[in-house]
Amino acid sequence: MKLPPVEYEAPTTVTEAIDVLAEQLDEASVLAGGQSLIPLLALRLARPAVLIDINGLAELSGVWSTDGWVAIGAMTREYVAEESEVVADAVPLLAAALPLIGHEAIRSRGTIGGSLAHADPAAELPAVARALDAEFVVRGPSGMRVVPAAQWFEGYLTTARRSDELLLEVRFPAAQRGTGVSFAEVARRHGDFAIVGLAVSLVLSGEVISDARLAFAGVSDVPVRATAAEDLLVGERPSPELFEEAARRATDDLDPPADLHGSSDYRKTVAAAIVRRGLRAAADNARERQ
Amino acid sequence: MAEIVAERYTGTSIKRSEDPRILTGAGRYVDDIKLPGMLHAAFVRSPLAHGLVLSVDVSAAQALPGVVAVLTGADLEAMTVPGPDPLMALLGWAGPTPEFTLLATDKVRFMGDPVAIVIAESRYLAEDGCELVEVDYDDLPPVVNAAYALDPDSPPLFANLGDNIARPHSRNEFGDVAGTFASADRVTDFHIDVHRHQNVPMEGRGCVASWDADLAAMTVYAATQSVHITRTGVATRLGIAPDQVRVLAGDIGGSFGLKIGASREELAVAAASRHLGRPVKWVEDRGENLIASGQAREESFDVRAAVSQDGDLLGLDVKLVVDTGAYPGMGMGAMVPDIMQAMLPGPYRLAALGFESTAVITNKATYVAYRGPWASETFVRERVLDLIAKDLGLDPVQIRLRNIAPRTDPPASMITGRPLVGVTSKESLERAAQLLDFPAFRRRQARARTQGRYLGVGVATFIEAAPGPRGPDGGLGSESMRLRLEEDGIVALFTGQMPHGQSHQTTLAQIAADEFGVPFEQVRVVVGDSDVVPFGLTGGSRSATMTGGVALHGTRQLKAKVLDFAAYLMEASAQDLLITDGDVWVRGDPASAIAVSEVARRAASGQFGADVDAALEVEATYDGGAGGWSGGTHGAIVEVDVETGLVQVERYVAVEDCGALINPAVVEGQIRGGVAQGIGAVLLERSAYGEDGSFQSATFMDYLMPTTCDVPRIEIEHLETVPLDADVNFRGVGEGGMIVAPPTVVNAIEDALSPFGVRIYEQHLPPARILDLIAAAGSGQTM
Amino acid sequence: MTDITLRVNGATREGSPEVRKTLADFLREDLNLTGTHVGCEHGVCGACTVILDGRAVRSCLILAVQAAGREVTTIEGLATDGGLGPLQQAMWDSHSFQCGFCTPGFVMQATAFLADHPDAGEQQIREALSGNICRCTGYQSIIDGVLLAAERNREG
Repeated sequence: MKLPPVEYEAPTTVTEAIDVLAEQLDEASVLAGGQSLIPLLALRLARPAVLIDINGLAELSGVWSTDGWVAIGAMTREYVAEESEVVADAVPLLAAALPLIGHEAIRSRGTIGGSLAHADPAAELPAVARALDAEFVVRGPSGMRVVPAAQWFEGYLTTARRSDELLLEVRFPAAQRGTGVSFAEVARRHGDFAIVGLAVSLVLSGEVISDARLAFAGVSDVPVRATAAEDLLVGERPSPELFEEAARRATDDLDPPADLHGSSDYRKTVAAAIVRRGLRAAADNARERQ
Repeated sequence: MAEIVAERYTGTSIKRSEDPRILTGAGRYVDDIKLPGMLHAAFVRSPLAHGLVLSVDVSAAQALPGVVAVLTGADLEAMTVPGPDPLMALLGWAGPTPEFTLLATDKVRFMGDPVAIVIAESRYLAEDGCELVEVDYDDLPPVVNAAYALDPDSPPLFANLGDNIARPHSRNEFGDVAGTFASADRVTDFHIDVHRHQNVPMEGRGCVASWDADLAAMTVYAATQSVHITRTGVATRLGIAPDQVRVLAGDIGGSFGLKIGASREELAVAAASRHLGRPVKWVEDRGENLIASGQAREESFDVRAAVSQDGDLLGLDVKLVVDTGAYPGMGMGAMVPDIMQAMLPGPYRLAALGFESTAVITNKATYVAYRGPWASETFVRERVLDLIAKDLGLDPVQIRLRNIAPRTDPPASMITGRPLVGVTSKESLERAAQLLDFPAFRRRQARARTQGRYLGVGVATFIEAAPGPRGPDGGLGSESMRLRLEEDGIVALFTGQMPHGQSHQTTLAQIAADEFGVPFEQVRVVVGDSDVVPFGLTGGSRSATMTGGVALHGTRQLKAKVLDFAAYLMEASAQDLLITDGDVWVRGDPASAIAVSEVARRAASGQFGADVDAALEVEATYDGGAGGWSGGTHGAIVEVDVETGLVQVERYVAVEDCGALINPAVVEGQIRGGVAQGIGAVLLERSAYGEDGSFQSATFMDYLMPTTCDVPRIEIEHLETVPLDADVNFRGVGEGGMIVAPPTVVNAIEDALSPFGVRIYEQHLPPARILDLIAAAGSGQTM
Repeated sequence: MTDITLRVNGATREGSPEVRKTLADFLREDLNLTGTHVGCEHGVCGACTVILDGRAVRSCLILAVQAAGREVTTIEGLATDGGLGPLQQAMWDSHSFQCGFCTPGFVMQATAFLADHPDAGEQQIREALSGNICRCTGYQSIIDGVLLAAERNREG
């Protein structure tokens, strides 16, 4: 399974990278960590004319804490984010999800930006970004813009990034006091993509849920916020009955895809189970973090 | 005959001599071979399951810089000679013989069927070239299940057969089938399916073929379980004499039955090398390995069981259909029913067996040998025992103990003929039950259920003909070995065994070192050169007995020869000589010792006349002696998450009897690897085809292999209770783990789900299927 | 073709790989370091694992040109003086492997893991190695080898 012939550019600045993108548009693929892109090339499912290798853009790596937000450069390796104390402290949902991504060797190369720009709906990071209303900072020839997560994920492996834009960083809101998180997933084996996954972030004020974010992986062609469940949860005290009802509301309207690993009905059934489990774990986490 | 010193090596887990190179990256696998002028091959493969090939246009591919040649099916027919697959010829297949060309010419018969071979300067360029070959196909209706294949109206895959029957229906009866069923208290019917899955060694198939035009000689660097069978295949197909072909094999990255003889692709590569006069390498990638190398185990069984109300399994009547895929002539699918029939009674007192079978041809990859090819007989039998036990309110250990044939003298025979000599199934079942501690487990299980957790325990018992007992109906074949004391004092064993993980270079050296009286490091096991080693095949779990036996007896014969010569040198009587630690000495006179290497050096010096036999070499053959069975009982404890269907194997025990152990660590490694494959089969692995015959598990993201988090610690106990032979009591373990693990795990899952009333009639239980079974069994739990 | 220079097993090496050539193929073909094995070419089996700038990575998912100027360690580079390093020795003592095809990947992944987690217990080791596939052993003997290496390392 050898890669097809392809041209290669390795820009050394963001401006240079954008210039090449602007020239190549849909003929180019951006090569970040390569953990998703290279297999597509090896299977000859993707045939870009040019690979734009952005591994040389050192300015795109880093984790910065500013004013209620944590900004993570697009080229930040997943393992770096996993080891970051800033992330552990201020974006605990991201910290909970990162160890579930593939295996260590994948996280040695895979990047935060790469995973989010690739936007596999069964991957962990898109669900996290969607749950937290992360913001995506892109830059193109016409300048910078900030795209909220609700608009970032457009379809299967499709994002709001235009062909001439580069994703520079992703910003996550810093967690409030009283936050509890969990990332629950059902996968065939340790490290596999989620058959169904759920990112949960709750805020407990005393014993009452004052904020609830739930986002699914693997139930559609994009990560899906369970807003009906969120609305139910806010203002209530955690309880098995509440979580049961939340699971029902979260999954009633789901019409998940079917594949070799599960039918649509199976995914729906499992989604309900992980809503219950994910909410329980997040509530426990909130109490621990208090 | 000189004494043998107390065994130093046999029975110990001595470190492997293979490992220093394996652990440092110095192993030599086919893809590591580089020859001057070597080219690389890739195959154009059919995207359709069934179709006519209307035209093949290679012009664009040939024009690509770096592509040296493109050969179509028609080109290869012109330069090769049709012939049967050498393994099938060896096994003596006499049934329907489909006629087909080496690569597809007029027809493609499965997705992945090779249509053309592109040879280029690199594998990258060869794949580029493949994309430029234009093939015009006409779709034909695909035959993707046995039901359709059995229908006389299904389009025949092979014109010369006229139908899709690889093995016509036949029926045999043993004992009084009609009478047993007529008089039984209960007769129950089951339909049991085993799903398609496959070998998946970590190294795919491949070879480097190198034709020397000057010498008219072909050298093939192969990954194979037998250099001789590969040689026969290549020679036949190229229309040359076997002695014009030399097959060399170094390290092989696993096989499990896949790499025997020569596949159509390897033969095409050899033909291409001869055509071009240059070495050609082909190593299949993972996609090819999953799609095209071959698959196994797709069998369906209609089973009727005659049972007494007390739980005696009196008789079984079984109808088997095997789906042999396309090109059954290249694999043993059509032969598997015979072995299943013979083995189905297992170590039990079955009084009557009716067995009928058919094998069909479908538009899927060929059914190839996969570790314990007959394994489904154990799956069916061990499932049926549990199902009957549940119907009668017996527990799984009880029903097995009731039905197991006790060890008698003379031994009982299976209703299908073979005597159950030396079988310790009863002991293994009792010990496994003890290890699992059923009473304690049942209490734990009950407590867990109150907390909404579902644990289950399962056992299964099996026997394996490794190599099987010598019985009245015939022998065990034979195994040859050449043994030689080399000039430098090395005891060299030349064997046709072709280890691909079995550690023969260590285990055979252990036996020889003990027999001869030299240190382990002074023995060398030579494998992998068809010019040098006698005929052999690593497979069928035979080598422990057959090759261990010929090593033991051959070393004795060699030693006798060496002592006769040493006696001449030392002016002593051979009876008075001993060999210990690499020295020959006169008993009672340690000062007399001379090194074996010195004896060897003298023998090789050419100083001796015809009256002194200084040719320190023997050709030994061993007929298997008393042979014997391997077998045992495995047990598993699982937990099923009934909300997600995920299954965790919490505990796994294996109580096994393979007679005397040559190297316990090697034996245990074989068992654990087999069990891992069995766990994989049940929980993860399926070779999936769509209704249009398209193959759907073509990457490791869809064909899921068990990992470190799926296979628990496997506790192994050895029984070594019944020696059948004065010297050779080693029996094989290669296949047992894979044979008995699937029913062990499925039995445990069914036990876990018994509150839901679930009954399981299949082997593949991914999470979605577990939830379907629970839902289908109806609502409500019974505690 | 792109000219590259990189450090492999402590030595400076050069090559001119096609841009599309993976690091795995470059190591095996251009540098004749055939110890790194190719098992799937889509990043799942781990047989191709090498250490790049101190991190275990899948060399089938990296282009050779991306390794320019970097430091790569392959299985051939582990042992000093042609002998066995402590992990390899522990694996030999534990009968860790059978056919050996998955071995280089496991050895490199375990090497990187133990360097960062010298006190890891069995469950942690199993999770860390869950991305490497072995078909022969059922994994127990491999885990035992890693545990033994860790234990010996603690004993000093």
